[in-house]
Amino acid sequence: MKALLYKQLRLVAHPMTFVFLFVGVFFLIPSYPYTVAFFYVTLGLFFMFMNGREQRDAAYNAILPVRKGDAVRAACRFSAAVQLLAMVLAVPFAFLSARINPLGTNRGGLDANPALFALGFLLFAVFNVVFLPVFYRSGYKGGVAFVAASACMVPVVLCDVILPHVPGLEWLDAADRASCLRQLPLLAICAAVYAAVTLLSHRRAARLYEKVDL
Amino acid sequence: MNMLEVEGLRKEYPAFTLQDVSFAVPQGAIVGFIGRNGAGKSTTLKSILGLVHRSGGAVRWCGQDVADCEKTFKENIGVVLGGVDFYPKKKIRAITDVTKRFYPNWDEAKYQHYCKLFSLDGEKRVDQLSSGMKIKYLIALALSHNARLLILDEPTSGLDPVSRDELVTLFRSIVADGTRSILFSTHITSDLEKCASHIVFIKDGAIVHSGTVGDFMAAFADRGSTLEDIIVSIERRELDESAIV
Repeated sequence: MKALLYKQLRLVAHPMTFVFLFVGVFFLIPSYPYTVAFFYVTLGLFFMFMNGREQRDAAYNAILPVRKGDAVRAACRFSAAVQLLAMVLAVPFAFLSARINPLGTNRGGLDANPALFALGFLLFAVFNVVFLPVFYRSGYKGGVAFVAASACMVPVVLCDVILPHVPGLEWLDAADRASCLRQLPLLAICAAVYAAVTLLSHRRAARLYEKVDL
Repeated sequence: MNMLEVEGLRKEYPAFTLQDVSFAVPQGAIVGFIGRNGAGKSTTLKSILGLVHRSGGAVRWCGQDVADCEKTFKENIGVVLGGVDFYPKKKIRAITDVTKRFYPNWDEAKYQHYCKLFSLDGEKRVDQLSSGMKIKYLIALALSHNARLLILDEPTSGLDPVSRDELVTLFRSIVADGTRSILFSTHITSDLEKCASHIVFIKDGAIVHSGTVGDFMAAFADRGSTLEDIIVSIERRELDESAIV
């Protein structure tokens, strides 16, 4: 698995996959739906999977001593690592955002707070559960998989825009210490959902690809 | 001793069926897998490698079902499926650096030796290599992890006569010590005549003959005196001239 992950890093990953790791800078834009930043991470991953297809990664895997399913699991784990790293790298920008933008002035959606990161986890979970199985059902239909995943991610972005305006949920749109503490359980739940959904998606993608004749 | 045994291999597609393909690759042999385009050569090789799913049959590596020893099997083979057509913009050095991590018995000194022997420049990109050099690069990779069996799908197709002759000579050197074997598919009979010890002849998804070259020539002596004559005689189909309008 280590060798497969290294292969993913050295040969398959697209430069934009790494550029979009720093989408936390979006949090510095005043009045913007910040979940779009996490969407860009999935766009970088889409580029990576397409790059693998165009560079005929499957033909390279065929000469290696690996099972088809293992190659898929490695690509999926690398993808999850990118998502988690993007999350971690976004944290400093969330703090910076709170300093630059006076609290509560983001008219585009949630402030950069734990609730936003919770939505980020949900967005990644939706991407993983839709994109990975649809892509690996054929091993090459990346466009269809990304359109389907994007359509399913739209409601998550809409939640980001709508939630601050729902009466009684204003605490989700605050970045003060007390509100952040109140949002932490939500973040933990969404992280757990992400972990479970991602693991299941990886298994399903590997199972589907095992059935594909190359 | 047989290194590879294929028994009753079947693969069904809507428009094509591989029917009960059986043959063996003895240790130290060069087995030429011959048949015209679309006969089922690539499908057979891909089924052996697990790239397509078999509808039935068995593949054994040193007597053991490959399903039970897939990792060992794949670590002990070198595969060339029509040259390096992956990562065309990557340097050879980068691909080697990744590839060697998959083989616990990778021998760097051997790799350097073969790079020198084949004049392979690690700084070159894959798309800067000629077709012959691409095949040689994959063979260098296979020999550097001490592959005992090379499986090559039409390695000489599209090469000029000199490059083909070089490769055929290389094949003979590879099996010279009797520890390694080669299974290669081709539709070029002259390559087989120069190096093959065994022939597996496939036609329309079914094996017509499998055995040593001598057996093959004896079995089809009435069809011609050379491999090419025999194959053409068996494969030729009368052209329906009324089909040309």
